Amino acid sequence: MISYDAIVIGSGITGGWAAKELTERGLQTLMIERGRNVEHRKDYVTEHKPAWQFPLRNARLAVGTQGAQEYPIQARTGQFHESVKHFFIKDHRNPYVEDTPFTWIQGDQVGGKSLIWGRQVYRWSDLDFEANLRDGHGVDWPIRYADVAPWYSYVERFIGVSGEKLGLPQLPDGEFQPPMDMNGGEKFVKAGLERAFPDRRLTIGRVAILTQALNGRLPCHYCGPCERGCSTGSYFSTQASTLPAARATGRLTILPNSLVHSLIYDAATNRVTGVRVVDTNTKQTREYSGRLVFLCASTLATARVLLNSKSARFPNGLANSSGVLGRYLMDHHFRVGASGVIEGLLDHYYQGNRPNGIYVPRFRNLGDDASRRSDYVRGFGYQGGASRQGWARGGGEPGFGVELKRKLHDPGRWTMGLTGFGECLPRADNYVELADQTDEFGIPQLRVHCTWSDNELAMRKDMAASAAEMLEAAGCKEVRTYDANRAGALGAEPGLAIHEMGTARMGRDPRTSVLNAHNQAHDVPNLFVTDGACMASSSCVNPSITYMALTARACDYAVAELKRGNL
Amino acid sequence: MRRDTISRRQALEQVALLLGGAISAPTVAGVLSPATRRAWAASPAWAPRTLSPAQLELVATLAEHIIPQTDTPGARTAGVHRFVDTLLTDHYAATERDRFLAGLTAVDGRARSAHGNVFVQCAPEQRIALLTEMDAAAYASGSGEDGWFFRRMKELTLVGYYTSEIGASQELHVSPFGVYRGDIPYASVGRAWS
Repeated sequence: MISYDAIVIGSGITGGWAAKELTERGLQTLMIERGRNVEHRKDYVTEHKPAWQFPLRNARLAVGTQGAQEYPIQARTGQFHESVKHFFIKDHRNPYVEDTPFTWIQGDQVGGKSLIWGRQVYRWSDLDFEANLRDGHGVDWPIRYADVAPWYSYVERFIGVSGEKLGLPQLPDGEFQPPMDMNGGEKFVKAGLERAFPDRRLTIGRVAILTQALNGRLPCHYCGPCERGCSTGSYFSTQASTLPAARATGRLTILPNSLVHSLIYDAATNRVTGVRVVDTNTKQTREYSGRLVFLCASTLATARVLLNSKSARFPNGLANSSGVLGRYLMDHHFRVGASGVIEGLLDHYYQGNRPNGIYVPRFRNLGDDASRRSDYVRGFGYQGGASRQGWARGGGEPGFGVELKRKLHDPGRWTMGLTGFGECLPRADNYVELADQTDEFGIPQLRVHCTWSDNELAMRKDMAASAAEMLEAAGCKEVRTYDANRAGALGAEPGLAIHEMGTARMGRDPRTSVLNAHNQAHDVPNLFVTDGACMASSSCVNPSITYMALTARACDYAVAELKRGNL
Repeated sequence: MRRDTISRRQALEQVALLLGGAISAPTVAGVLSPATRRAWAASPAWAPRTLSPAQLELVATLAEHIIPQTDTPGARTAGVHRFVDTLLTDHYAATERDRFLAGLTAVDGRARSAHGNVFVQCAPEQRIALLTEMDAAAYASGSGEDGWFFRRMKELTLVGYYTSEIGASQELHVSPFGVYRGDIPYASVGRAWS
């Protein structure tokens, strides 16, 4: 059995960070990835291809189309297009049981979802870290903003974040590169919205895309579809950022095509001693040993590894003396909001495909009387943007021939949309457990049970109404609300935001949580979980940068503990 | 550990390499090598895989009526009929493909009862009259199966045309790589981005 100082399971956003931090601190590190290798630049096979080079012109491969046949789950997300399908998992390789509709989107490659993520990055505030304590849902976080703030800065300086400082307590500022421009329509809505609602702001998205060169990575060239991969390394991905840093140490070994079956636990020392992996090509089982294990496999995959690591000491899953492992699953709820038309501004246009939109920070339940809601707790923010209608509008109205062609030669009216992203409460009855069925590698599948609670449903009403109210106040016309959620059916089901989190939550009490304040398992000192599984609540902001900051922070702690002889 | 920051010149060289040297005349079309262009040019050996020759001609004729040749080429030159055949063969579920094919048959049925000929053999003014009827009906409420077909045919024509090299870069503009400018006078562009 080959032995390493540290084993990192997963190579996505947090696995890459763990590999970088551990190798830079001197540890010989093995990074295990279930999927194939993807090399920076070389394997971005659709990058910069114009539409006409795709047989289907980069069609959305919706459920039911031929291109979605091997991807019945992945095809549920609107991100699933002809140009990026090779960065999503074929669903037969990751089967699971849906007790209730739950969409599990996964990568299947080195880099994981860091290649295809949405790149929006917002710091949490103490409004988030204190939320469970204040309203009694979930358990109190064992950390506060002050614990994470320096690590946010550390991460932001390395990955590169462009954005605008606002000075809002509920959305702390960070180490920002210059923000991207807003377009004319967005400036119009911003002005009207902020005039009508002095307590609300509309800002350009804070995004892990460079507007200035950084560490050999180049500023964005605005080709548009980041998710095809970026040869200039302009957005944060494992390949562009953390992997080169980890490799440069000479202490990284990458093991692709290797699915972790379980962790090996030694009761005599109460330590994890290694991992058992299945080679996904040969289906052979192999073992690797390490003094330290970081689980960064993504929320549900991490829960599955722990649940499947059973021993006499931990018959219900490793580090599960509390019994809460697998529970308190969350996702953000979205696909609700409003859109409208901006009249005029027809002499305004833009140039370049900006891979970013606008953001409206949370303005509900901020702790003061003015923002308090009686119908729900927690809050939401909006993402959105304005654009001028393109040629596709021609399909929605009568007309054909020379007249239609002449009309579509010019862009159409300005439209503006706002989509809410809402916080989801941590609830014990949203959970995963091992099912009786196994996958093709002999590993038990997950059974997922997750629904929105009345709190989320009440919040959605406000998310739609407030979006419409702001657009109307800003001067938009033909404002329409929408809500894609359908009870018990697909539309805005949990998982679809791809912000799934929880199942191995952090907490102060080993009896009610899996991890301590350093993402270290209460039960097993050399086991760390730093992906979304660690989350004790969900906030309403996009989670990835918090995962990165927690990962870097946990690595710093783990290596210090290792050197002190405590692990 | 920070790695060395590369110089601006190196940065520009790197971008130039990646974008095929297209910085000064930066269109997506410009990054294609001549070999790629040839490979993607209409091949004389091409043959439809789902549409019959008659159906293919009907699709090409309908598409050209929807987006005709003007000072730029129209849907037929842009190969919209080939795109439609590809979608029907490689993308649509069988039920949707059959529904579309039935819609084509219905167009000929309508042409026969009005003018005694299949659509492509009708006189141009007869075709225009039929299309004007179908177009108006398609956007009225309760337009039924004929309405579904005509809207779909129009959508496919627009997608096929404006995502073709001709539609995207001759009729419209491909947005250049390099910078994002959020608020510029429309007159400085003069055409929609594709």
